[in-house]
Amino acid sequence: MPEQQIYGFIGPNGAGKTTLFSMIAGSLQPSAGHIRSRGKDVTGSRPFRLVKSGIARTHQIVCPFRAMTVLENVQVASHFGRKDITRTAAARDYARQVLARLGLDRLADTLAANISLGDQKRLELARALATDPELLLCDEICGGLSPTETRAMLDLLRRIRQQGTTIMYVEHDVKAIMAVCDHVMVLNYGQKLAEGKPQEIQNDPAVIEAYLGKAGSEKKGSRIVA
Amino acid sequence: MSTAVFAPSRLEARARVLLPLLLLAVLALLPTAGLTPNMVRLLFITLVWVTSSLGWNLLGGFTGQVSFGFAVFYGLGAYTAALMIDRGVNPYLSFVAAGLIPAVAAVFIGLPTFRLRGPYFAIATIGVSEATRVIMNNLAITGGASGFRIMEHRPFRQVEHYYTALAMAALAVAASFLIVHSKFGMGLRAIKQDEDAAADLGVNPYAYKLAIHAVAAAFTGIAGGVFARYAAFIYPQGVFAFQTSVYILLMPVIGGIGTVWGAVLGGIIFGVVEEQLVASFPQLHLLLYGSLLILIILAEPGGLVGLLGKLFRRLRTPKGKDGDTDSGGRKADQVFRRAGCG
Repeated sequence: MPEQQIYGFIGPNGAGKTTLFSMIAGSLQPSAGHIRSRGKDVTGSRPFRLVKSGIARTHQIVCPFRAMTVLENVQVASHFGRKDITRTAAARDYARQVLARLGLDRLADTLAANISLGDQKRLELARALATDPELLLCDEICGGLSPTETRAMLDLLRRIRQQGTTIMYVEHDVKAIMAVCDHVMVLNYGQKLAEGKPQEIQNDPAVIEAYLGKAGSEKKGSRIVA
Repeated sequence: MSTAVFAPSRLEARARVLLPLLLLAVLALLPTAGLTPNMVRLLFITLVWVTSSLGWNLLGGFTGQVSFGFAVFYGLGAYTAALMIDRGVNPYLSFVAAGLIPAVAAVFIGLPTFRLRGPYFAIATIGVSEATRVIMNNLAITGGASGFRIMEHRPFRQVEHYYTALAMAALAVAASFLIVHSKFGMGLRAIKQDEDAAADLGVNPYAYKLAIHAVAAAFTGIAGGVFARYAAFIYPQGVFAFQTSVYILLMPVIGGIGTVWGAVLGGIIFGVVEEQLVASFPQLHLLLYGSLLILIILAEPGGLVGLLGKLFRRLRTPKGKDGDTDSGGRKADQVFRRAGCG
């Protein structure tokens, strides 16, 4: 996989996108095959080790520490997810920086239970970012967001890529994927269906069939409308 | 910790340091104020309970792992101290051992039981606790059902016991605060709320739970040891009883689970009330505890500290200007705390 790019994954429900992420992040163990990170076999590594080696994820279903403030949530990540930060004050400072970058600083002292879903999605991203990842796994970070919020989120992803982070991005919203990704892979029932640049994928007959059924592919000139 | 949400004023910050010291000073001076030996005994027992309560609160309150098995550590601590003092070892040295042995036991108990979560963990701890009681009741070294009498070859001075217990409880409070405000404590709080999310951010939940289990067991074990030396007679059906486990769990719940002062308050109330209840309702007192537990969990999961906090905030907020968002926030906080406690 190329570094410092946004690598998108799409596919119908149950295609195995989230499962793939869980295996890479270490919360599920693959039943076959291996996971390699920069040539090193990391199959079966636990999540709390992988995150220190630079692999962080966000969750499709947000899971903030609800009884903690937004700042504390991110502080857990910067304190535990990085090898280079050992002091509490340093962890808090870094957490504040991440919050500022994501526009969450105004909510720093609010309980995570009391912020909106859009902000909770941002908080997911903030926590993952605070571990200073080289590979960031984003699972449906735009799910349930308004068009405006989605656009802001995608801009954020582009900026994160610019700063040198490689992103693997799963989203149901094909439009969002096509807008932001350098490279796209289509999954169906756990199998790779197609892979390529966003434009190539949109015209791939196998992909159109998986999404729209056989009838769709027979229609002349039809493509996934992005 | 909802306190983090409202920035404390300077006065409050100062009170937070001064009030505990004041309390400590009052407790230290009490024996000189001409209390009856029975009063001193009651205070001593209360301090033993407070320490056990603080121990359980580290695991059950801060980390969210509800254990019904703390009698194991209380009993092990009591017997460790009893056997050592009986053989002429310095009592204070034996209290150290009364902390260490339960801590080691806690790691071994934790290795299999922390593979389980929530109610399954709680049930497993009942099993471990009951098995330990039965084994201890049949060992010759514990004196079995007829109990164990401790022969200490030193004069008995009640005040010495009292100050030992006071120092122990004060250290337990200080250690609790240190733990909560450390990186370790932050990891524990994260585990309480979402173990998997915590792991994804770099916390090792299994190792953390084992570690805090050991620390909590050490608190409770030392309390058991200090009690054993005072009582001079212990028996497995007493210190290892399931009732002891329930008492240790009940105190932080009464006072306010997951807060240091809640655990202290619960221990104080329990220590003062318990003997009266047993004396007045020898058959019924367990039923009363059960009802109390249900009532607290349904009506005020934050315990007395939660209730007092609410009253205090209501008094402080000017009439008609009650911040709506504030009370909504607290309510949500309560609900989630309840969910977190399991």
